[in-house]
Amino acid sequence: MIFGLEFPPIENLVEWPNLFGPTDSWYGFNKIALINLVALVGTAVLFLVAGRQKTLEPVTNAPKGSRNLVESAVAFIRDGIIVETIGPDGLRYLPFLASLFFFILITNIFEVIPFFHMPGNARMAGPAVLALLTWVYFIAVGIKHQGLKYFWNSVAPAGVPKALLPLVVPIELLSTFIVRPFSLAVRLFANMLAGHILLVTFTVLCITLWGASLLLAVLPFSFLMLVGLTGFEIMVAFLQAYIFTILASVYIGSSMHAEH
Amino acid sequence: MLASILVLATEAATTTADNLLGQAAGDAKTVKNPILPTVNEMFWAAIFFIALWALMKFVLLPRITKVMDGRTDKVRDDLAAAEAAETERVAKLEQYEAGLAGARVEAVAILEASRAEGDAERRTQIAAAEAEVAAARAEAAAEIADAKARARSELTGSITDIAVGAAEAVIQKPLDRAAQGRIVEDYVNAAGQN
Repeated sequence: MIFGLEFPPIENLVEWPNLFGPTDSWYGFNKIALINLVALVGTAVLFLVAGRQKTLEPVTNAPKGSRNLVESAVAFIRDGIIVETIGPDGLRYLPFLASLFFFILITNIFEVIPFFHMPGNARMAGPAVLALLTWVYFIAVGIKHQGLKYFWNSVAPAGVPKALLPLVVPIELLSTFIVRPFSLAVRLFANMLAGHILLVTFTVLCITLWGASLLLAVLPFSFLMLVGLTGFEIMVAFLQAYIFTILASVYIGSSMHAEH
Repeated sequence: MLASILVLATEAATTTADNLLGQAAGDAKTVKNPILPTVNEMFWAAIFFIALWALMKFVLLPRITKVMDGRTDKVRDDLAAAEAAETERVAKLEQYEAGLAGARVEAVAILEASRAEGDAERRTQIAAAEAEVAAARAEAAAEIADAKARARSELTGSITDIAVGAAEAVIQKPLDRAAQGRIVEDYVNAAGQN
């Protein structure tokens, strides 16, 4: 069941049995938790292997192998996300945003990894936790940079006529403090769950058609769709990690400066 | 054919869905809302993400960014060194070109001086050679004149002797040799002028 060697029951789309811990306990460790653990360990191992440095060679030479991969990813987050959305002042938030990117990417990519075939973020828990942490983080950044005025600056943008404030403030309040974390979580969760359901659907169809005599002719088309969607899900896994990270970066950037 | 395939596909899909939903229906009371997160999954997700965040901040990223920053610094230093070397090269090139221009002017001056000196020497040598030639020519002319005078004198003497001898033989009496000699000499001189 854990390694996907047999097709799971349909209810496992929404609930995985615990590997240890009683059912419905707050610490029950299931397949989703295992995927999150592998995302942590996998990222750490990747960075540790890439960060090995016995000599000055990594500084003097062009990066290769795992170091090249990790440096490219870090440069992508640093230059392509943080500098673009916040500016050089936002580089201090690189650890949080890099953690978000790698954690989401690796948990997503388990959708197409044999014996797992389940994106960790196709369950609402992961996206909800990440969105809540991002929400707390950008509010904390706002208070740190603007003090308690941050809350007023967030809901009453500069330049808005006072007469419009009764209309704008509730909208901004809802948009900034309610919709942002909700949309972050639901976007990631819904995309990954939809992709997972698509792959499951075509897998079930392939299995069903394999046993059918006349409909066996349709099997290649279904199988091609399955292969194509698997490639598509790899792209979605990366894209959702990128979108979540860049939106978190935008929210943090908007908390740093009142004029945003 | 296509219609029968579609009908069979619909039946197969319906059967599969019924089977799967049947499994779920048998345990309908335990199926949860797929939208709502479960506490245990949130707990572990939070634990593992915060652990990754801490590791990333204190252990993982510094090792990577240190090397990246070191490489950026090295590239910047190398670029600065390259720019300094380029500036130095341009300065040396200008210095070399200035020296080359000076040397070229100096070479032209030396060439002109050498050419003038050569011309003067050539003219001196030509003048000396011409003088030498003129002297040799004058000496040769004098020698020729002497030889001619000697030859004429000898010729005049011989002709006088022969002519006077022949005349004395014809007339059988001696003649005035000096007077005959002047007549022969005048004749030879007149013939030499023709």
